Amino acid sequence: MIRKLRPLVWLLLALPALAMVYQLASGATFAFKLLHPTGELALRLMVVALMVGPLITIFGRNRFLLGWLALRRNIGVAAFIYGLMHLVFYVMDMGAIGPIIDEFWLPGIWSGWLSFALMLVAASISADWAVKALGPWWQRLQYAVYGAVLIGALHWYWLDNNAGPALVHLAPLFVLWTLRAVVKRTRRARKKAKEKESLA
Amino acid sequence: MIARIRLAASLAIAGAALAVAQPALADGDVVCSSGPRENWKSINDLKKAAWLERWEIIETRIEGDCYEVYARNERGQVLEAFFHPVTLEKLVVFRRGSEVYRKRGFTG
Repeated sequence: MIRKLRPLVWLLLALPALAMVYQLASGATFAFKLLHPTGELALRLMVVALMVGPLITIFGRNRFLLGWLALRRNIGVAAFIYGLMHLVFYVMDMGAIGPIIDEFWLPGIWSGWLSFALMLVAASISADWAVKALGPWWQRLQYAVYGAVLIGALHWYWLDNNAGPALVHLAPLFVLWTLRAVVKRTRRARKKAKEKESLA
Repeated sequence: MIARIRLAASLAIAGAALAVAQPALADGDVVCSSGPRENWKSINDLKKAAWLERWEIIETRIEGDCYEVYARNERGQVLEAFFHPVTLEKLVVFRRGSEVYRKRGFTG
């Protein structure tokens, strides 16, 4: 099922990128204008990739969530590709290395580099052989995505001086993380109560 | 049952907190108090004002009740500047979100 779905998902994920590259090539837009849409998509896709974990903990395994989980690595790689496009358009817009270095230490800029570096860590080990080779370390290294999302949102806030849009994007994760914590606690408490009962 | 109620309650609290926090935090918008649009100077005049700063314009747009200019200065720095649409005064300038200029007395 997922095997059949995967090419379709990739087509869907690639559509915005194709539209952007086409517009850029035809002169309908320019690199500066594509900074916002690429950055936003990178963040959105990371959020979508991170949402499925807590959803499975909360609602249990069902076909829909397992399908989502099977596609998570694909969504994550797509997020990285949009992050990479974001960086490429930034470099195109700046046009030279001097001004890029000059503004590196501004909060709105180093935060973007840091978020990208964390995405790079996660994306660079996304191949099947890397998953197998790294064993438990694979999961640990993937936690870099949490940092990439949070620092990416901070990057947006610092550039915009407006926390609204970044917070709206993080909101689903905050809600799900809170719920997951609550669900885990209630399950633990229930288990303890049962153990006590069986002892008594 | 109690667990479910607790779940619903925490979801409601999280939602309410977000709803309250959002407008309070969305204070980054520059306010120019520029009045009705028919009194505004033209975009061409805005471009001239930016040109007088010796900036290379990347993009101009209307942001709320302000004119906004994205431009590059002589040193290659990308600037986001807000101009008053009626007086075409330079009110505030950001460089990658960091404030680098503010007209004396401007608090919008």
